[in-house]
Amino acid sequence: MCADVLRTACIALCFSLILAFPVLAATEVNRSCQQSDPLVFGLLPFISAEQLVFRFTPLVNYLSDNLQVPVRIETAPDFVEFARRTHEESRYDILFTAPHFFTRANQKAGYRLIASVDSPEMWAVIVVPKQSRIARIEDLKGKRLATVPPLGLATLLVRKALFDAGIDPDVDLDMVITPTHDASLLSSYHGVTDASALMQPPFEAASKKVRDSMRIIARTESTPHIPISVAPWLNEACAAEITDLLLRMETSAEGRAVLEHNRFTGYRLADPAIYERLDELLSR
Amino acid sequence: MHRKSVPLFQSLRFRLIASVVMIEIFMLSLLVWNNINIIHATHTDRLRDTASSMIQQIARTSGNYMVAVDYATLEDYLSNIIDYQELSYLVILDRDEHAEIVLGAAPTQPWPALEEHPAQVMDGVFDISEIITVSGQPMGRVLMGFSLSFMDEAIRESRTRGISIAAAEIVLTVIVTVLIGLGLTRRLGILSSAAHEVGKGDYSIRIPIETADEVGRTASAFNRMVTDVSSRTQQLEKAESQSRALLIENRNLVHTSLHVQEEERKHLARELHDELGQCITAIQADAESIRDLSRECDNRIETSASAILNVSSRIYEVVHAMMQRLRPSVLDDLGLIEAIKEELSAWQDRNPDIHMHFGVTGNLDDLDERINITLYRIVQECLTNITRHADASRVSISLSGEADSLELSVNDNGRGLKQTLPGGGLGLIGMRERAEGLAGEFTLESEEGAGVTIRVRIPLNSGERKIA
Repeated sequence: MCADVLRTACIALCFSLILAFPVLAATEVNRSCQQSDPLVFGLLPFISAEQLVFRFTPLVNYLSDNLQVPVRIETAPDFVEFARRTHEESRYDILFTAPHFFTRANQKAGYRLIASVDSPEMWAVIVVPKQSRIARIEDLKGKRLATVPPLGLATLLVRKALFDAGIDPDVDLDMVITPTHDASLLSSYHGVTDASALMQPPFEAASKKVRDSMRIIARTESTPHIPISVAPWLNEACAAEITDLLLRMETSAEGRAVLEHNRFTGYRLADPAIYERLDELLSR
Repeated sequence: MHRKSVPLFQSLRFRLIASVVMIEIFMLSLLVWNNINIIHATHTDRLRDTASSMIQQIARTSGNYMVAVDYATLEDYLSNIIDYQELSYLVILDRDEHAEIVLGAAPTQPWPALEEHPAQVMDGVFDISEIITVSGQPMGRVLMGFSLSFMDEAIRESRTRGISIAAAEIVLTVIVTVLIGLGLTRRLGILSSAAHEVGKGDYSIRIPIETADEVGRTASAFNRMVTDVSSRTQQLEKAESQSRALLIENRNLVHTSLHVQEEERKHLARELHDELGQCITAIQADAESIRDLSRECDNRIETSASAILNVSSRIYEVVHAMMQRLRPSVLDDLGLIEAIKEELSAWQDRNPDIHMHFGVTGNLDDLDERINITLYRIVQECLTNITRHADASRVSISLSGEADSLELSVNDNGRGLKQTLPGGGLGLIGMRERAEGLAGEFTLESEEGAGVTIRVRIPLNSGERKIA
């Protein structure tokens, strides 16, 4: 008799929870751009935190000013932690991450693509000091190659390129992991490693002195440019407003100044499907 | 050597030691006070600079961690810093002022008021804050509290050390000053006592030369000076002795001369009286006889005899006056008082406008002839001077006799004496010589316009009164 009563109570509790879930979910979705809490702009730590703040503060201020909501930059100590916070902590309202991370964020945390950087493609490069005898990717055998953390897009693209060139990155050369693209570039610049692997946009954004003293010996396959997505708890109106602000940036002087500061030409609408092929890189 | 003790506050030793000690205490107190201020300022400035440096370093370092929300790594890094002994607490606040990292004995919210300088601290903890920025964007805030107890302890130690050193220095200064002062003033005391002894006439004294310093040189010079003074004093004493002997000899000579003069006068007066007087008397007797005998014979003889009588009478008067001047017979016949009265009477007749008073007290009989003639001559000289120089309207003479002395006082209300008395010096010298010839004292008191008072005091020995 008691067992029957207990079973009935458990079943009732389960039903209650199931029925309550949509209500709880709806509460999250209703979070709007008019809220008083700041929106968190999550940035993948592909460069140092200081550089991230320097480069993206104008964009964040632009959004904040136009949304009339405080927007706050946040990053993570590394790619893994950034991914974990993205997937598990629901920490970022707006997500600015690498293309290959977006698919997982979309799949695991429901982030919705609202735009991407308006550039055709991007790729990783392998650079060496200009006076280096390394001329081709094949010359990297037995050398020390600096790169970003293992989950970084540059590392994944370069590993694939090395494999395609018949070089096993885990055997034929020494991959030196550095925390950021800048660190990877400066590593060979200062002679700590023989070569550096990094994405082409950070290389272009590096100081002219450093860039001019380096030589590109290889470039990887292209990937779609950086996606910008929003968290599932932001309502549609807010997401649309953010999308609209990004897409219209090049139409205003203020927006153009922000784009120029970021070395971007603009933002455009993007199809989430174009990022799905990058999931293969993470699967390797 | 006998040393006279000096009153404490007049003592050079006391003043020297007290001055040095007071100056030392004042200057050291000033120095300690200044040092304590400097130490306090140095420590507080050091703490302020250290705190400022640390918080700026932490704010700079924390920026990247704050952007990355990597509080665990930041806390790990800061946990090494919290071990710094003066650091009381460390709090990292995020952009919403939420305390993300709390290390040490942090205060509860609301956070304490911030201070600019440790000198402003009231609660013993220096609270400071710094905004964490990354590329100019605020990412949070660091709060730090520095305990002042270590600084206060260091200041206390420094202060105690400074005061101890100052106290030790004062004690040492007192000891050294006392020793130096005692040594110095002891030798000065010897010098002073020696000078005192020399002042009393002991030229045999010599100061031992202990050192070659200033006091030693002074002592050496003192010894040389005493030798010189002794030598010269001996010479002077010798010269004085000779002068005194000469003076006594001169006085004796003068006295003898006066005595001889008086004797000669007396003899001359007696001769005049005995010889010339008898002759004149005889001439007068003969002239009277001639006049009486010729009265009935020849009238011309009677006239000539009368003329001889007149001339002889005149001669007798002149001779009598000379005898009085040489030696008044009344002095020998009736004594000093009557002789002076007679002299005064004659003088009063010559100076009727001057009021004269003569007073006598005591026993003046039976005086030695030398005393009588001396006092008589002095009165005579005084009256002569008054007549010649004083232009006085009143003269008072008193003569008093005591058992062992006589005193004569002659006072007038005339012009008095100037410093230099033209032509009058010899008279005064003569009076003084006469008085001192009898071992007496002669004094003269006078102011210009206030008359002259002459006092003569003559001691009487047992043999200087005549046996009646």
